[in-house]
Amino acid sequence: MSTQVEAMAGPVLQVQGLQVAYAGNRALDLAALKVGRGEVVGVVGANGAGKSTLVNALAGWSRGDPRVSGEVTLDGTRIDSWVPHERIRAGLALVPEGRLVFGRMSVEENLSTAFVPPAGPGRRVYSREEIYDLFPRLKERCQHLGSQLSGGERQMLGIGRALMMGPQLLLLDEPSIGLAPMLVAQVLGTMRTLAGQGLSILLVEQNVRAAIEVVDRLVLLERGRVVLEGPAAQMGNDPRIAQAYLGAHA
Amino acid sequence: MNLTQQIINGLVLGHAYALVAIGWTLLLGVARLVNFGHGQMYMVGAFVTWWAVAQAGVSYVLAVPIAMGVGAVFGLVMQRVMLKATFEKNLVSIMIMTLGFGYVMHGAAALVFGSTGQILETSLSLHEVNMGDLWFTGQDAAIVIAAIALFVALKWVLDGTRIGRLVRMVAEDPKLAQLAGVNVRRVYYGVFAFEGATVAFAAGMVAPRTPILTSMGFEEVIMTFVVVVFGGIGSVKGSYFAGVALGLFTALFGALVSPAYTTAAAFLVLIALLVLRPGGLTSGAAGAH
Repeated sequence: MSTQVEAMAGPVLQVQGLQVAYAGNRALDLAALKVGRGEVVGVVGANGAGKSTLVNALAGWSRGDPRVSGEVTLDGTRIDSWVPHERIRAGLALVPEGRLVFGRMSVEENLSTAFVPPAGPGRRVYSREEIYDLFPRLKERCQHLGSQLSGGERQMLGIGRALMMGPQLLLLDEPSIGLAPMLVAQVLGTMRTLAGQGLSILLVEQNVRAAIEVVDRLVLLERGRVVLEGPAAQMGNDPRIAQAYLGAHA
Repeated sequence: MNLTQQIINGLVLGHAYALVAIGWTLLLGVARLVNFGHGQMYMVGAFVTWWAVAQAGVSYVLAVPIAMGVGAVFGLVMQRVMLKATFEKNLVSIMIMTLGFGYVMHGAAALVFGSTGQILETSLSLHEVNMGDLWFTGQDAAIVIAAIALFVALKWVLDGTRIGRLVRMVAEDPKLAQLAGVNVRRVYYGVFAFEGATVAFAAGMVAPRTPILTSMGFEEVIMTFVVVVFGGIGSVKGSYFAGVALGLFTALFGALVSPAYTTAAAFLVLIALLVLRPGGLTSGAAGAH
């Protein structure tokens, strides 16, 4: 019991010396990163800064063929040698960018799990009904195929499927990409609701203005390295963030 | 010539084609893999069944499951060896490796079983049904029933069960399936074991129709390939209808025109179809369905 309490007290995710290279080119060189329980951390940066590379490497997953090294600890357990589905089952869910739903399966079929997720301290397993409550739009379209959904609906479906696996930590890769501003606010707003229910979230976003509204802490990546890190409120005032991404002219 | 008799022959032959092809349908639909050792796996399945019945004195009903077990093990071993190439979708390597496995199986079977032809007799193949001028054996009826049952069962498992859903996830997007928590490697193993077991089952059912030789397999692999492509790659329903259509075509063309040119004619039809409907009979999205 005491070890469980200790584990509960520590951060849900701890990363040390994470390096990723594609065909010899270093895409990420991260000295350290932590995500606390119930914390929403935003990772921002320009195209090619290594944001997607980071969340994919945490899940041990990629559509490419990267070389990854470094320590990844989830809830006190080293997971960096695990294959993707083992990490997923341990409670680290990734909603990738791009192809994120099964196009030939209905919404309802997409919202079913490949395994029985263990509910436990820090792991809330959402039911399909709870997902429909969270995203009523999905309920309306439950018999549609994944390929028939709009970009926003796909995002909701991808997030919904991840939540049904009872994640401790949700990794989201550019959920706002290609969405109308109203939907961006809705999808990102949901993140606050989820964090309120105890979920930890690492959110990769290019839309800094939207991200800053929902995250607790912001990490700025440039060329694969962390160049700035701090509470969202302060970061919004940092001239580097303001200049680079909010379009302000200093 | 008795047309009804030819249609019966065609239906039996067609269900035999479909039965032999069912494992490859799933293999191609799910793993996007080919197995040019398929015909030799059929040969091994036939010989294991024959050996169990004629040499070990096991009943036919038990001999077929034994052959299926051996087939599943062959499938698993092949997949183990080719796992890396499978994940990399390295089709050229896989083609050559499976072709190689076929030759190894051929050689090994010749060593073990000798090169003389054998007859696999079952109580069903000796049981003849005569209706007027029409004639078929109990084995023929069993082939048709078994093929229909297996295709219906596969379709049901794919569409209606949890395992089927996992298989369809891997078929559509193996990378995304990993993120849904699917053990993709295990699904690949399962599909190969299924292929090995079902082709051995098909051999146990179909081989009693003809003498068996360790040199056979080429005809089976070619016909399987035709059925699978003709049916629309990965389509379970399509493979069934393609198998039956090919059987009917072969029987009728053989009776009405000439048996010598049946295969050539079948390929002409296939080429024409591929030009007109590149997706096969049930054109649409590829993948297990």
